[in-house]
Amino acid sequence: MKVIRHILDQLGRQGGRAESVASVGWTCTYIPIEIVEAAGLTPARILPEPSSEKADAYLDPNFCPYVRACLGKAMDGEYKGLSGIIVANTCDGMRRLYDAWCHYMPPGFAFILDVPRTRSPNAIAYFRGRLQAFVRALEEYFKAEITEDSLRQATEEINRTRRLYQRLIMNHIQGVPGLRYSALLALFSKEWEGPRRLFNDALEEIVRITGQCTQKELFSPRVLVTGSILDGTSIIELIEELGGTIVGVDCCLAERMVQEVPLDGDILNALSESYLGKIPCARMKDTATRAKFLLRQVEKTRAQGLIYGALKFCDPYLYEFPALKEKLQKRDVPILFLEGEYRGRLGGGIRTRVQAFLEMLANFG
Amino acid sequence: MATIGEEEKISHRALKRVVRNPLTYWSLAPLMEIVNLREQSRAYKIWVRYLIWMMRSACSKRKKVIWMSAFTPVELAYAVGAIPILPEIIAALVSYLGWAPPFISIGNSMMSTDVCSFYRCALGLAVEGYLPRPDLIVSSSHLCDGANKFFSYLSQRYACSHLLLDPPYDTGPEAHGYVTDQLRYLLAHMVDLMAVSLSEEELCKVVGLSNTMRKYMVRINRLRMAIPAPFPGSEGLSYLAGMGFCSPGSTWGVRFSAILARELEDRVAKKRGYLDNERYRVLWLHHIRPYYQNDIFQFLSSQGVSVCFEEANYMYWPPFDPTKPLDSLAHKILSNVWAGPLERRLGAVKEMVNNYRVNGVIHFSHWGCRQSCGGASIIGDFLKDQGVPYMILYGDGADPDNYFPGQTRTRLQAFVEMLG
Repeated sequence: MKVIRHILDQLGRQGGRAESVASVGWTCTYIPIEIVEAAGLTPARILPEPSSEKADAYLDPNFCPYVRACLGKAMDGEYKGLSGIIVANTCDGMRRLYDAWCHYMPPGFAFILDVPRTRSPNAIAYFRGRLQAFVRALEEYFKAEITEDSLRQATEEINRTRRLYQRLIMNHIQGVPGLRYSALLALFSKEWEGPRRLFNDALEEIVRITGQCTQKELFSPRVLVTGSILDGTSIIELIEELGGTIVGVDCCLAERMVQEVPLDGDILNALSESYLGKIPCARMKDTATRAKFLLRQVEKTRAQGLIYGALKFCDPYLYEFPALKEKLQKRDVPILFLEGEYRGRLGGGIRTRVQAFLEMLANFG
Repeated sequence: MATIGEEEKISHRALKRVVRNPLTYWSLAPLMEIVNLREQSRAYKIWVRYLIWMMRSACSKRKKVIWMSAFTPVELAYAVGAIPILPEIIAALVSYLGWAPPFISIGNSMMSTDVCSFYRCALGLAVEGYLPRPDLIVSSSHLCDGANKFFSYLSQRYACSHLLLDPPYDTGPEAHGYVTDQLRYLLAHMVDLMAVSLSEEELCKVVGLSNTMRKYMVRINRLRMAIPAPFPGSEGLSYLAGMGFCSPGSTWGVRFSAILARELEDRVAKKRGYLDNERYRVLWLHHIRPYYQNDIFQFLSSQGVSVCFEEANYMYWPPFDPTKPLDSLAHKILSNVWAGPLERRLGAVKEMVNNYRVNGVIHFSHWGCRQSCGGASIIGDFLKDQGVPYMILYGDGADPDNYFPGQTRTRLQAFVEMLG
């Protein structure tokens, strides 16, 4: 939509993050960026352009291509401007990324955040303790003070972003002519490029405009996408180009970041509980919760099929697929499994399979 | 008349019955004693007896069966009087016997071929019903991302509960308390879900047995520092590591390790190496080796290269305090050098390189194993700084279709030349 582009251009002209503010790179949606923002720092999402030649010499060829791209770009000096990195202990790939980054290009500040795989009371208490340690580490290194108030304020502002995202996604599902999900993803990636307040104001304007658009019933096959991190918007664009309508993207670039954190009570505890309880990634123990969530989404968005995208060598998603497939097929949800390379472009094979899947949905969905 | 497909189905069904029938193991026990008459190692014979006992007990249903992932403390299973079955270890055995390809092929039809072939093989075995049915599944997320989802899927298929031990990355007091609490929860649920009993006394006894085994393993590892190497790494990576995974907390583990320690004492006293002409000594990194028929170890032996030690048997945890069983197990879990930061593993590698006076190090990079292979390059750089020749040997532990003899031999040849 032209209007979104216009608003984003305006946002760009209003300026990015102030250079005096230190940026800290982060990798995963299980890292509460509220804490980073409460320290007065800029949380810069590490989303490298697909390319990993340099990292290939340092990480095994059968290793997560996203992790290899992160390391490759870091070795190219792309993240020289960062004052530090925060990595979540979410999978083998992330652990080894942290090791390799610290070994080959020691950053000023480095923190690995332990994230439990369950949300039992013990896990929540333990994660709260790790968040406290994270707060202390940031305060010590950046000589910052993170108070209960600053944490609450940062959470409030990020919650505003989340609420606006939810409304925007809802507008999209209801049908806004010309508004594609790939445009939403491009929009989400701007979140970390400028001051949050300005981003939120721009987002609010977009939500208002899209909310006023005439709603139109969509007749193209409605597809829900789930899976690991995406290499940009290529798969989403492909589905849309082939005539599909994306009604939701459950991945770490999109809807896994839209749940609000309650502001009552102990804020660190609220963060711990919310992050462990958010829409789960496949690395969490409970496949049943993910299956239930996806089934709910299918129902809510009236999706006719599900595309499950996993990066090559991404174990949590590759191992989860058979269980999830069984659970969803029991409820007659057609599933297409795609294994991607994080190359920013898709091969002809994937194109043909997506096309066949959409045709199948159009005919029988 | 039955068609070929039907005949195959019938023979499969018959084979499954045989494999899961306790009588098979009653008859196999004396047969294996005869087969092993000429086998000199008493420790190896105990390993075979242990396997037969394990399968017989699991199939006879006299005891509850718990499927566990490698590194989940099997002591918990012994403490509640259950039999721990480790599907990854069974997959290694199946691969050793040359039976893995059809099961891996079944696994491939359900899971990406980019994941570990041990899990794909175990999946094939489970789906085909060759494994004794589990009453409960317990896995640990220690080292391997696969373990959690793989076992969770199996619990879905077998409609039994799945409990997860989720050790953290950190090792401080908070982490220790967190793991101890999880162990307590696991035990309580194991007792509850399987309707078995557990006494504090039994738990202490089991942890005491595990500690005794540890004591012997420490002695074995010390004896293996001798030159020439008294025990082959290929066996260290098979039945020695197998017992290390399956038997801690049982009398089998104690008996096995005590006898192996005695055998090695004898060999070392007589200065008998497993090779007649040991020229170079090599350390093998990673818990596994290719188990199907291959000539890696024969080739190394033919060149006078002994694999004198393997990281799989490195004793990383402190002695247990049997009066504090869960606390001790939590210590063991958190001391794991392959979990947590890579520095810990580097420290262990350095210690092994020095203690075993090796001339070189081979890192076996098993296809599908991220936790170990992800650190292989950093380990290489670290060893280069120490002036230790190092080679990453790419391969697959369970899938013979991923083994390329010519390529492997060329790499090994180059490595041996480097040692000289």
